[in-house]
Amino acid sequence: MLQAAITGIPMTGPATSTEDRRLAASCAAGDTKIFEELYRRFGDRMKSIAWNHLGNAADAEDAVQDTFLKIHRAAATYSGEASFATWIYRILVNTCYDVLRKRRRRIDEAPIEDEEGVMIERPAPSVDDAKRMTLRKLLDELPEQRRSVFSLFEIEGLSHAEIGEILGISEGNSKWILFSTKKELQEKWNRNRSL
Amino acid sequence: MNITCSNLDDLLFDASPLSMRTAEEHAAQCPACAEKLEAWNEISATAKSLHTTWQSDLLWPRIERALNKEIAEGKRRSPLRGLSRIAAAALLAIGLGGTVWFAVREQVRDAKFDTKIMTLSALDEAEKAERAHIQAIANLEKLADAKLEDSDSPLMGAYKEKLMLLDDAIAECQANIDRNQQNAHMRAQLLSMYSEKHQTLRDVLREDTNVSNQ
Repeated sequence: MLQAAITGIPMTGPATSTEDRRLAASCAAGDTKIFEELYRRFGDRMKSIAWNHLGNAADAEDAVQDTFLKIHRAAATYSGEASFATWIYRILVNTCYDVLRKRRRRIDEAPIEDEEGVMIERPAPSVDDAKRMTLRKLLDELPEQRRSVFSLFEIEGLSHAEIGEILGISEGNSKWILFSTKKELQEKWNRNRSL
Repeated sequence: MNITCSNLDDLLFDASPLSMRTAEEHAAQCPACAEKLEAWNEISATAKSLHTTWQSDLLWPRIERALNKEIAEGKRRSPLRGLSRIAAAALLAIGLGGTVWFAVREQVRDAKFDTKIMTLSALDEAEKAERAHIQAIANLEKLADAKLEDSDSPLMGAYKEKLMLLDDAIAECQANIDRNQQNAHMRAQLLSMYSEKHQTLRDVLREDTNVSNQ
């Protein structure tokens, strides 16, 4: 029954349903089959979101694992204000923020690079690595919220309504933050190109 | 549509297919805007390539183990054991808190007074600057409002939408600042929103002047 319910959940989407509540109840009850289905459906995007916030696969996987534990602990409090998928991404982004705050306290931080031993898969291999590295470096310099809005919209393809729910801001604010972030990046991008 | 270089940002903000097409048409005749637009599109294309995933066969088994462990621990934990832990933690917190409070109170008192004075004066300055900015914008808004209402042009429509979005964003940012007055990042964001609104209103007035001159 629940299996049937879960196959109907969209990847994202602001609409909440009784199915979402049922899903939350199963997570709160500790039904690992449901967690496995959630992982199968959202795992890839969760890894990508975490990777784009944290910059390496090991930390990204830890954040995804922590998120699943937090889903289990908090599922009983899921109110249905946002869709279950959006709620999961919200927990994930907050988990990434926690990791970043802890990391900032460390004095010696290794520069973020593509790690060895992990086969990274990307949908657009034609974009050259130099541009990718430049953009990653520029994103790394952004404040958390701007980086999140940019990543969720431009990299993960979520809508402003979904981003608003994930980050607890209005749709209009998400649109504004994206615009001003891209303006900032555009100036730095051109400066970088002229070097 | 008659587009000038100053309209490019509004089209990029709107980001609808029509606006992007209009921006491209303008860029085809304007090298400066072409460069800006190229960077804008390049950033988006590069961003799409940053969607990152990898095979991680061990991740789900690891999550499952952690979940099972937590679920099992949750079942073992009796309510009484939980209560006694909470009581012990509360006692410890009260004891430690009291000691630390007595030790630190005297040292902190003077420093706190100085910091409070400095914080209040910085806040006061920031609020004064904001008030002046808001007043200037309100004056512009009065002039622009009537012109926006009178015009049916798509560009004016885009300006109207942008101004509405900015007002929403400003209200939300202001609400956040009301909750935490010393959040410098939010204040900087608010100021940049006001600057954008200021610039947009000036563009509206200028645009309208251009139109009425034609």
